[in-house]
Amino acid sequence: MLLLDYQNVLIQSVLTERFSGAPPVSIDQTVSDFDGVIFHISTPETKTKIQVSIQIRCFQDLLRYGAKEVLNREYGPYVVPPEPGFDFSILVDLENLPAEQEARDELVKKISLLKRNAMAAPFEQAYQEHYHLKQEAAKFTTEEAPQGVREGGEVKAIHYREEEAIYVKASHDRVTVIFSTIFREETDRVFGKVFIQEFVDARRRAIQNAPQVLFRNDPPLELQGVPGVKNTGTGEIGYVTFVLFPRHLTPQRMPDVISHIQTFRDYFHYHIKASKAYIHSRMRRRTADFLQVLRRARPDNEEKERKTASGRTFKVGA
Amino acid sequence: MANQTPAVVMDNGTGFSKLGFAGNDSPSFVFPTAIATKGGAGAGGSGSGRPAVANKPSFLTGGAGPTGHLSAKRGTEDLDFFIGDEAISAASGPGYGLHYPIRHGQIENWDHMERFWSNSIFKYLRVEPEDHYFLLTEPPLNPPENRENTAEIFFESFNCAGLYIAVQAVLALAASWTSSKVTDRSLTGTVIDSGDGVTHVIPVAEGYVIGSSIKSIPIAGRDITYFVQSLLRDRGEPDSSLKTAQEIKEEYCYVCPDIVNEFSKYDRDRSRFLKHVVTQPGGRQVSIDVGYERFLAPEIFFNPEIYSSDFLTPLPVVVDSVIQSSPIDVRRGLYKNIVLSGGSTLYKDFGRRLQRDIKHLVDARIRQSEVRSGGAKSGGLEVQVITHKRQRHGPWFGGSLLGQTPEFRSYCHTKAEYQEYGPGIVRRFALLGGPGGS
Amino acid sequence: MSQSLRPYLQAVRSSLTAALCLSNFASQTAERHNVPEVEARTSPEVLLTPLTIARNENERVLIEPSINSIRISIKIKQADEIEHILVHKFTRFLTQRAESFFILRRKPIKGYDISFLITNFHTEEMLKHKLVDFIIQFMEEVDKEISEMKLFLNARARFVAESFLTPFD
Repeated sequence: MLLLDYQNVLIQSVLTERFSGAPPVSIDQTVSDFDGVIFHISTPETKTKIQVSIQIRCFQDLLRYGAKEVLNREYGPYVVPPEPGFDFSILVDLENLPAEQEARDELVKKISLLKRNAMAAPFEQAYQEHYHLKQEAAKFTTEEAPQGVREGGEVKAIHYREEEAIYVKASHDRVTVIFSTIFREETDRVFGKVFIQEFVDARRRAIQNAPQVLFRNDPPLELQGVPGVKNTGTGEIGYVTFVLFPRHLTPQRMPDVISHIQTFRDYFHYHIKASKAYIHSRMRRRTADFLQVLRRARPDNEEKERKTASGRTFKVGA
Repeated sequence: MANQTPAVVMDNGTGFSKLGFAGNDSPSFVFPTAIATKGGAGAGGSGSGRPAVANKPSFLTGGAGPTGHLSAKRGTEDLDFFIGDEAISAASGPGYGLHYPIRHGQIENWDHMERFWSNSIFKYLRVEPEDHYFLLTEPPLNPPENRENTAEIFFESFNCAGLYIAVQAVLALAASWTSSKVTDRSLTGTVIDSGDGVTHVIPVAEGYVIGSSIKSIPIAGRDITYFVQSLLRDRGEPDSSLKTAQEIKEEYCYVCPDIVNEFSKYDRDRSRFLKHVVTQPGGRQVSIDVGYERFLAPEIFFNPEIYSSDFLTPLPVVVDSVIQSSPIDVRRGLYKNIVLSGGSTLYKDFGRRLQRDIKHLVDARIRQSEVRSGGAKSGGLEVQVITHKRQRHGPWFGGSLLGQTPEFRSYCHTKAEYQEYGPGIVRRFALLGGPGGS
Repeated sequence: MSQSLRPYLQAVRSSLTAALCLSNFASQTAERHNVPEVEARTSPEVLLTPLTIARNENERVLIEPSINSIRISIKIKQADEIEHILVHKFTRFLTQRAESFFILRRKPIKGYDISFLITNFHTEEMLKHKLVDFIIQFMEEVDKEISEMKLFLNARARFVAESFLTPFD
């Protein structure tokens, strides 16, 4: 596996099975996803009504950036008041499913992308801001553009994990996405550094059209004055900046780009762990080699000893 | 954190892995413990440049889909693999070799297992292991080195927040707490764990397995399937594939109190003979008679001589001898709490028959000793076989039950403790759910 | 093999062969005990002068001989942070399996990455020159392994980064 899926596999498989016309059963499953997101799939009233609820730690942040609208747009007819303890719920009635298979698959896909869609709101808003600013900016030359246009929109902060956040900022010629990253473990930190360096270099070397990636150990200029961003000076928090250029910002590419950039952190961590696993297997092989060499140091008179030990009790001097 | 992330419960068995989150009543994923890697048996054969089998229709594909370009890059072979059902289907195509990293309940190939876990966590469960506690299972008599290796992988590769490794049989006992027959939630009892390959009878006292008394029986699910198949073949049914035999086994089989009576019942009442419709590849439908195998198949547990010629001890006798070989002070508890676990214990009335047969053995012995003692009266011995709803994934469910208790985390070893003391720390775990626990 | 490595390993080999001249020697401080003197350090008269062989400031070997045991500690080359972590991981992985290595010490001597302890019982059971071979081969391969792992890590990082960024293209 190279890239991570965007959708939640479990929701997808449960719903695909339910939608296929299998006899209704009651479901009550709590499922987790990356970044502490918790889903609850249940059939609260009858077996034919499946409720999917999501709990996401930065939901308040997301609401501020228009998550409500995005979610309503995506799940309009299915939205129900959130289940207690959760942030957002949808309810699907198995007796009221779309008739065609494609439409059903479409619905399954949509629901399994619940987390992605909730997280997409700030990005979408940034896109819209960018379009707006671009129009504005087109009216001026660079020097005389008013302050607001030159500086771009406000920084949207999504505190999606306890210690880490995503910041999104739109301006007239780009959208900047900044991930703050922290490593609790020394090995991960060192590996992470190697990986990030390659992200930074990749554009220069191979993929000219990719977003520009920057890395620094102190908050980048974009984040100055944003509440909650402190320059600890210790450099333990790193900031990975993705600069999305207009070619990534076309409306056609928006859904894919948003989905993809969301997976950055988990992708990054997954691969750090996968390389540790690979290094482990290398070490296992090497250890076995060393043991082999050491075993050669034992003289092979064991065969003889076994024979003598079979019956009588005398020893052969080592 | 105000909202604790649910613990991840993973029960990796020889045949199937059960994965899910604590608090749920069934595992989220059940798939074969199989891994398909590139180039057959680890020989790093990067020669075949054929594209990998696309495992998903690509919609917004995160890329877990077609990995064709992956095989083209050197040095990334270790990312090019599939697990579970996808492994089985990938292995049927070219370029992939199928491996089963667990043999006889114990992990044999750590490289494969590590990748299997990695994929389980990131692709299926979709969790960041740093945020979650993990509850894993191990077979009885697992060497402590295996535990250490497991801990090494979970703490060093995955940085998991905390880890608990529990013995499957103990979890199966915990799973039986859901049964209404269980009143005192003790961790003493005899676990009969019958999966696909082998059946184990494991006595557990106060949460600790009595290793010296464990017995295993070479009769389990697979043998029942073979037996059904041979019966179908003998009759010359139009379809006697292994798959059909398995379907018949799962759908129609039950345990009868007495075979002779049952034969005559069938002969009196023709409605007991059933028809099973199989759709063969190609769409042709065939109908198969289902007859005596309905009760004969599970009967091989009780009368092994009808199937096997080298193993002839009936299951009730094995259970009785296991308990008799255990320390005398726990035997009463072991008889009172015989817990079933695993797919091959699901036949209707399996528990009832087992209870009756064991009771007969016990009563006969008591009568004998009464006669020998010359007039002393025994107070009798309670024999109880617990059948419950969660039998199929017993160990997993027990893990889920214990993993959701608030004190679960305090029983785990954390990453910090691991770094402080090293892998040796996992040789000992406080007994979860035991005395002083919930 | 680079020019400076050969004489370095040759020096280690000769010194080790010379030092591995061990005999059974009972403890002088505790009756009926037989302990590796180099570890116990209770009788200074049976300890011999330790010897350091250094290839450069980052790579050196410490040989501490005594009458019935010898301790060899190796400092593995660590040019940067990555190599440092990899060496640390690898040596810990090995010491974790010290049981099967017989002569591996569970803890390295301070200032070194990995230590071996060879006693007279080892040399009685095993062939002396093969033990020396083992140490030398270990030193050779450990460097190779570390640099291969580092190369792997860089290659993997590049590959991973490119794969993530390609869909944006």
